[in-house]
Amino acid sequence: MGDGDTNRLTRFRLFKGRQRSPSVAVPDQAETPLGETSGIRFIVGFVRRDKIALSGALGVAIFIMFSVIQGFLELLGGYLRNPSLSYLLLPSDPFTFHFGLELAPPSLANFPVGLLGYDETGRSILSRILYAAPRDALASILIVVSAIVIGMALGISAGYIGGWADEILMRITDAFLAFPLILLAIAMSLILGNGYLVVLITLMAIWWPTYARFFRAQALSLKSRGYVEASRLSGLSSARIILRHIFPNSIDPIVAIATLDFGNVILTYSTLAFLGIGVTVGVPEWGSMAAQGLSYAPRVWWYALFPAIAIMAVVVCFSLLGDRIQDMVGGRISY
Amino acid sequence: MDSKFLFFVARRAVNAVITVILMIALIFIIMHLVAPTPEDLARLYVGPKFPPAELKLIAQRLGLTQPVYVQFVTYVTGFFRGNLGTDTIYGIPEILVIEEYFPVTLNMVLLGTLFGVLLGLFTGAIAASNRNTPTDYGVKALYLGTWAAPPFLVGVVLQLFLGYGLHLLPTSNVANPVLNIPPPVTGFPLIDSILAQDWTYLYSWTRHLILPAITIGLISFGSITRLTRATMVDALDKDYVKLAYMKGLGQRTVVWGTAFRNAIIPIVTLLALTFAATVGGAVIVEYVFEYHGIGFFAVQAAYALDYPAILAITVIVGFSVIIANFIADVLYGIMDPRVRLT
Repeated sequence: MGDGDTNRLTRFRLFKGRQRSPSVAVPDQAETPLGETSGIRFIVGFVRRDKIALSGALGVAIFIMFSVIQGFLELLGGYLRNPSLSYLLLPSDPFTFHFGLELAPPSLANFPVGLLGYDETGRSILSRILYAAPRDALASILIVVSAIVIGMALGISAGYIGGWADEILMRITDAFLAFPLILLAIAMSLILGNGYLVVLITLMAIWWPTYARFFRAQALSLKSRGYVEASRLSGLSSARIILRHIFPNSIDPIVAIATLDFGNVILTYSTLAFLGIGVTVGVPEWGSMAAQGLSYAPRVWWYALFPAIAIMAVVVCFSLLGDRIQDMVGGRISY
Repeated sequence: MDSKFLFFVARRAVNAVITVILMIALIFIIMHLVAPTPEDLARLYVGPKFPPAELKLIAQRLGLTQPVYVQFVTYVTGFFRGNLGTDTIYGIPEILVIEEYFPVTLNMVLLGTLFGVLLGLFTGAIAASNRNTPTDYGVKALYLGTWAAPPFLVGVVLQLFLGYGLHLLPTSNVANPVLNIPPPVTGFPLIDSILAQDWTYLYSWTRHLILPAITIGLISFGSITRLTRATMVDALDKDYVKLAYMKGLGQRTVVWGTAFRNAIIPIVTLLALTFAATVGGAVIVEYVFEYHGIGFFAVQAAYALDYPAILAITVIVGFSVIIANFIADVLYGIMDPRVRLT
């Protein structure tokens, strides 16, 4: 903001829908950066010019792509009962014990298997970190997307309909917002049984309130805009107005907080894993690896440190990219 | 104007009460969803160690065979009377356990949040007034580093370097376990030890507090820095700031005296949200530092399959978050009169 390029940035749009809203779109067709008018190419072009954001975007892309392929291989390996398929991309089998290498320090000797050292039973830490990536990626994507969907449905209807519906929906949102996330996840996994799925469901059930508040604020401010009133007067149904005007116009800023939020989900998920919530014994998970490694710290620093650094690197990448997108869509978020 | 303000406060108070009841209803619904039969419910209330035949009796004794709406009314009225169930491990009412552990956590979290807020406001304002300079990037690197690091890593690194490495500060417990705990008047260690004039305990408590509180501050100040920087950047572009410069005021006076005071208003709302997050984050901090507060207790209760304890803690923390939100709303109304109209 205030950087010379902001004025150009406010024009960035993801969905064609915005162009149907004349009050926003018309005035700035005159000069466009890089000759691009809209869409993903504009973001790409913009991110490319910022080295820091570019490295963040690159990290995110590598993380997501690797996770998708690796996750697919893991599923396929499980389905075909052929475990070696799931280790295709990894330096070594993450479950093999290397005898004589228990708690061996990082070394270049057995490159790349021993690059990050070995754990207490001689399993390669690098392989285990890579093997765990898909679970974090899946958790972050599922939870953020579900939060956007639920938050959008409740927030836009609260803001657009207003009155009592607004009052009731917002009180429910507040009640959900008050729950301490980690405590509720602990309680749920305690009652429903400890598992990945339980943590996913709990986080999905409780992650949406901030999005609902945000969408409500957007809907409230958009409701009184000229083009929305015009389309209401011309007899468009509420559902159509919401779909064609309110939703496309409020989704842009959401992209920024959602990008930042992927990192938050990964942090929360690995914090829970650190406490032993939602992890299956034996299956590698960044948070639980760090927790196990801590009992050998500080002499065996590599065991706890590298999984923690994996978490940190992914979260930093997401927030570098998210910060940039937030600058681009302009302005800060109001709840 | 005055009556308007009272109306505003009353409206917010009513909202808060409704939110509390809704939250309890949610917990109630969750409990009934995961435990549909009276026997399952009884198992939730008394723990996993009873055979099914006894569970049936217990369900009858606890009134769990009654219609759902009767149970709900009992549950809600019970909450407002301080009845949160009985602990299955210690056999005492949960409210007593919470009374003992929650103030310890609250004391630590409030001081930690205070540290985080001061740090966040300071770094945010500095970053905004030195926009796009190395200082700005340095601040960004600092908060990204502590914010993106998993909370346990921040705690463990502090513990390793300041505690075990330099032997500056103790790494676990609320205070030296050899000392007698001052008589609990308020439950807050700070106030209790001052009331009892127990300066040794106070000193020991303060030393033990520093590392967990710094951890809480470090993991939470990033969002405050981010928002402060954004609002400050906006404020520094405003006309009244330009006027202040034209009057010939120095940069320091303008940044801290004019822009900063106007920029911090939106932060108040964020504070309540931050508080909710940090009370949750206290779980992990207390676990790492073996700080015997409510979070540590919650983790122990989870390992011991103590369902009533963990549910009671969830409800109580949710309740305190709603109270914090209410206070933030009222403060916002005091600081920014325009809000009262809505």
